[in-house]
Order: sequence, then structure tokens, then C-alpha cells
Amino acid sequence: MNPSDLMRLARGPLFYFALLFFIAGMLYRLTRVVGFGWKKDLTKPKKSKIAGSLLAFVKSVIIWPFIPRVEGSLKRNLVAYFAGGLFHLALFLVVFLGAAHMLVWKSLLGFGWPTLPLPVVDWLAAAGIVALLVLFINRLVNPVLRTISHAAEYLNLLFVFLPMLTGFFLTHHLLLPYEAMFALHVLSVDWLLIWIPLSRISHFVFYFFSKAIYGAEFARRGAQP
Amino acid sequence: MATMSVTEQALNTYVRETGGWIASQLEACTRCGMCAEACHFYVATGNPEYTPIWKVELVRRAYEQRFTLIGKIKQALGFEKPVTDEDLRHWAELDYYACTMCNRCSMVCPMGIQLADLIHEARAGLFEAGLIPSDLKAALDKQIEEGSPLGADDETFDDRLEWIEDDWDVEFPMDKEGADVLLVFSSIEIMKFPDNLAAIAKILDAGGVNWTLSKEGREVTNFGLYAGSDELEMLIADRVIRAAKRLGVKRVVVSECGHAYDALRFRAANLRGEKLPFEVVHITQVIGELVESGRIKLKAGAFENGKVTFHDACKIQRRGGDFEQPREVLKILAGDRFVEMTPNREEAWCCGGGGGVIAIQDADEVRRAAFTIKIDQINAAGATTVAMTCSNCRLQFLDCVDHFNLNWNVTGLAQMVADALVEEG
Repeated sequence: MNPSDLMRLARGPLFYFALLFFIAGMLYRLTRVVGFGWKKDLTKPKKSKIAGSLLAFVKSVIIWPFIPRVEGSLKRNLVAYFAGGLFHLALFLVVFLGAAHMLVWKSLLGFGWPTLPLPVVDWLAAAGIVALLVLFINRLVNPVLRTISHAAEYLNLLFVFLPMLTGFFLTHHLLLPYEAMFALHVLSVDWLLIWIPLSRISHFVFYFFSKAIYGAEFARRGAQP
Repeated sequence: MATMSVTEQALNTYVRETGGWIASQLEACTRCGMCAEACHFYVATGNPEYTPIWKVELVRRAYEQRFTLIGKIKQALGFEKPVTDEDLRHWAELDYYACTMCNRCSMVCPMGIQLADLIHEARAGLFEAGLIPSDLKAALDKQIEEGSPLGADDETFDDRLEWIEDDWDVEFPMDKEGADVLLVFSSIEIMKFPDNLAAIAKILDAGGVNWTLSKEGREVTNFGLYAGSDELEMLIADRVIRAAKRLGVKRVVVSECGHAYDALRFRAANLRGEKLPFEVVHITQVIGELVESGRIKLKAGAFENGKVTFHDACKIQRRGGDFEQPREVLKILAGDRFVEMTPNREEAWCCGGGGGVIAIQDADEVRRAAFTIKIDQINAAGATTVAMTCSNCRLQFLDCVDHFNLNWNVTGLAQMVADALVEEG
């Protein structure tokens, strides 16, 4: 199999298999969690739980990570705030507003949107890669993270790192011929799509549960989330 | 069935109690470790095992191995070790000695996971496995059998009240028909802070509240909550609930006790599966209402002794919402000599004595270490008097003031209010 065959396989059948696995896997996990059942709250809430949940989302999306939630927590978690924040920002901007990625979305959804200029995307990608490396090293050396991390936590970082690195090499025509690197890039994305439902990268879905619970719980108890 | 091992009993509890509420939060954690830096036990000691999410590790493992595909794969491939009895004993120390369920960590968590509740789950399994620390168990047994963890049985209770009535010149109405309010005390107050009982009685009388105590529901302290046993928590709370129903009161007022307020106000109805036919409020809220409505008058500037600061108790302020009433009162009593600690309110640091920790002797060292954060905070604020609305915090403060030789005055809000009451002519 030559690189262009591999590329066609990776972006064709493999990609669609991975995408289906991703969607089915996430739906399975969602229904599983919802299916555990939810007890009705019979206590009288001090404040509106719905308003509390909404406030929690607004605060976490708009304010965090640029203003720390708790006094002193920025200073105490510099790496997590900056490397973590930068990584997420870079990832979202590159995946949704990079021109090449938008075309993939367009082919899937049928419509497109304006994108960021290539140099901006390029710098964001580089920043994201550096941030991810910092997070990886931090997990290796920080005593708390070493204690609470299992193999999966390191693999999560690695499997997100691979598409970012191959994507960066791809745009800069580094290391391998274009088609070969393209194939590696898409293969790493395919694998990531399969890995997400099996791992905690799925936190982007359960975030909506835990954050809503957080806001409701603080409001129920009369505190500000 | 053959007798279950300690481990099986704990794991079964975790699996049995898993609902969407718990599962979704376990699924949301990315193991970023930020919760560690919000925990007074971690910050004071630097022990990474005190990271809040690590205290939930056994619950997570039980959940993943039982309910998730990847957990089953990991276990089959040998990536994840099965939980052993030794693990449980280790986590019993982490979960009972080094967590006050203050939930400060949930505020730092980017996902907002309610870590205190998850650690309570962890305790539930450990309790089922019989791994509750012996002194906590002894207090719990005493409460179940005698009605009080600190030994305020029927006779002692009557004796104490009689003594307080004589010495402080107050009256405690007992099981009074037609009362609007049932007042319930904590055992700490009954046995260690008798002046608090007198202070609260004076405040309610001055405010014209039609209140009563009850023999049956005399103590609101709840060691079942500390232990992690929903069943015993309910059994203990039921004593108060039965008394309140029998007397037909509109309101149950919880005295200066934090976790008891949590149990009765925010948990009891859900554990019982039915709404309570009365309102549960903390004495802090009552004081606030009486002052605001002018039903009691306080002597402005009554506090004359240096600067006073307010310690936010985790169960009454961060997890109970009564932030402003004590501050309003302290502003009247001390004016600009009332100073805030930083951080405060929702973000306040816990004293380190809650969650039953102060009842566990083997936890003394870590409990006192956690308090050093409070020392720095209060010294930075320049206060020499610390007021609070929780007698469990107050016990921790008094123990640590003694242990660290601090020259502070530690007091309850109700006591300050009672001392500053202006008699209506």
C-alpha cells in the first residue's frame, strides 16, 4: 500500500468507522449515565437551582480560566491554568476555525463558515503543542498529578498530541512527503475518535452534567456558584 | 452466601448507591489535580494523597470496574489492580482523617464536581465495611443508644438545663404545646458551651419567639452523617423530625452547629423520600431576621475589644448560604473594627475540625496542621477575636488556640448577640 492508498483509506472508510464509533460510543456512555436514574430533590431550595446552573455555565465559559474562581487558586495552579487554558483555546480555534478543518466540517454538515488566517492558526497550533508538552511534563513531575494519574491519563495526552503534531508537520511539509504525513494525520485523528469514548477525554460531555449540578447545588444551599 | 470480605461489602455499597448524579460527576473528572490546592489538608501538609479526587479513588475504581467498558477491559488486561482490604484500610485514613466535607475543592474544580459528596460516598462504603475509626464509632454508638455522642443522656440533659437555668437566669420551655418553633441543640453546646444555650434562649425570648425544646428531639448532632451511614443518619434525624411533627411547629431552629444543619436542612427530606412539613433554619438566619425586623435591638459598638473577624463555617455559610446575617450583626457590634479574612464567604478556608475529624484522635496532627492556614489568615486580618456560627468550628478553634498558644478570643455569634441585647423599657 502506497501513501496515497493509505491516505484514501484513512480519510475514507476508516474515518467514517471512527466517526460512527465515536458517536455510538458517546451515546452509549450518555444513556448509561442518564439511565442510572436521578433522585428527585425534596428539600426546599434557598435560591433558584436553574438560575444557579446557568450562572455556573456563564462563569465557567466566560470568566474561567482568565479570572480564577477562588482567590489564590491561579497562583497555586499556574501550569493548569495557563497551559490547560491555552491548550483548550488553541484546540478549539484550530479544529473549528482552521481553513482545512472547516472544509472537513463542511463536507460533513453541508455548510461552512469564515476561518482564521493561516499564520494565526499556525501560531495557535504551535502554542497548543507546546502547552500540551508542558502539561505532559507537569504530569510526570508534579507530585499530586503523579499520584492521581494512571496510564490512561498519559495516553490521553499522547493521543491528542499526535494529530496536533502531524497536523503541524503537514502544514510545514516537514519530515515526510505530504501524502504520507496527511495519512498519518488522519490516522491519528481516526484513532483519537475511537479513543475518546473509551477515555476521560469525554469530559467535554459530562462537563455539562457536573457544572449544572454544581450550580444547582450551590444555589440550593443559598451560596453563589 | 459465604461471608463477604471487607472489600466486597464496600464495593457493593458503591455500586448500589451509584445514580446518575454520582456517575456523571465521576465521568467528568479529567484528573487535573487542581482540587489539591483548594484542600486545607493538602496545602498544610503537602501530602499528595490528600488530593480530594484521590480520596474518591475507590469509588471511581468500583464504578469503572462494574459499569464501564474500559474499566472491564483494563481489569481483564491486568492494568487495574483489584481493590484489596489493605487499600480500604488505607483509604479509611484518607477519607475519615483528612476530609471535613467542606467542599471548597468543588469551587476550584473546572468541572464543578461536588467532591464533598463523593467523599461522603467513599465513607459510606468504608462504613459498611466496618472501617470507621474506633473513636468515631464509639461516639456514633453512644448517640444511637443514649441519644448523645458526648454523653448528654436523659438525666445529664435535664441536669445541665437546670444548672443553666439557675446560673444564667433563663428558662427552657420543654415540649410546650402550641409553640411555633422547636429549638434543637448540638451535643457540643449542651456539654461544652452551656453559655450558648443560655444566649440562644435569651435571643429568642427577647425577639418574642414562641419556642420550645423537646425531650425527644433534644439533640440535632448527627454522627450518622459523619460516619457515612444514611440509615443511621436518618434514624438520628428522625428523633427531631418526630418531635417537630408531634408538636406541630412551623419551624425547627438548629443552634450553632454546622453538619447538623446540613443533615436536617439539606439532606433529611431526600433521605426520607418525603418533604418535611416544617421549615428548617439555622439560628444565624433567625438572628438576622430578628435584627433586621427590629424585634431585637443591639447596642451599637458593644464590642470594644480590638478587632473582630468572622470565620465562615463550611456547612452554614459555603454549604448553607447564611453569609450576610453575621456580617450585618458584627458591623453593628464592632463597626469598622469588624475585619474580613481573605478569602472569605464561599471561598473561605475550612477550620479543619469538621466532618467528624475532631472526634478522631489519630487525626489530631493533620487536623492541627490544617488549622495553620487559619492562623495565617486571622493574623493577616489583624483580628484578635474570631466569631463563628458553628460550635464544631469553635471547638477546633479553642483546641488549636490552646495548642499553638494563640492569644485570641474565640466566640459564637449568638453569644455576642445575647451580650449586646438592649432591653426594651
